[in-house]
Amino acid sequence: MRPQWLSWKNRIFLSFLAGIVWGWVAIGVNIISGAFLFENYMLHNIVTFTIGGAIFGIVVGALLSLSHEWLPFKNIFLKTVFLSVILWGVLMIGGIVLSSIEPERYHIVVPQTVQGFVLAIIMGGLLGSLLKVSRKHN
Amino acid sequence: GVHDAYHDFRHVIGMPCH
Repeated sequence: MRPQWLSWKNRIFLSFLAGIVWGWVAIGVNIISGAFLFENYMLHNIVTFTIGGAIFGIVVGALLSLSHEWLPFKNIFLKTVFLSVILWGVLMIGGIVLSSIEPERYHIVVPQTVQGFVLAIIMGGLLGSLLKVSRKHN
Repeated sequence: GVHDAYHDFRHVIGMPCH
């Protein structure tokens, strides 16, 4: 399944929207899991998670547009989840390198890592769902 | 400034941080 039924503007918008929603979902998931105790004010976090989520969403959307023909899945949902997890993994590798350089300063916290992996899957799911819903309305 | 602003975000998405 290819996301070509949507214009590129709509795809950017959906990626942006999925990312913003994902940022808010991340706050909710962390409140429930308690993996990290927030250190900033909630209003501050809503802003930063919105911006951070939007960037993540747009990058996943752009990766999908670039690679959808070469991915080994036909389902758009699997494609977006795969790409989201890959992007998270790339960032995580960078973090692991930093952690190996100075483990006292950049230490890996397993519950947060597991939460991040789950959130990456959720990000892909959100974008895939939005693309599927949009297809039904076009 | 940037480090402090996105401190919580990085922790929540599982990136190593201090």
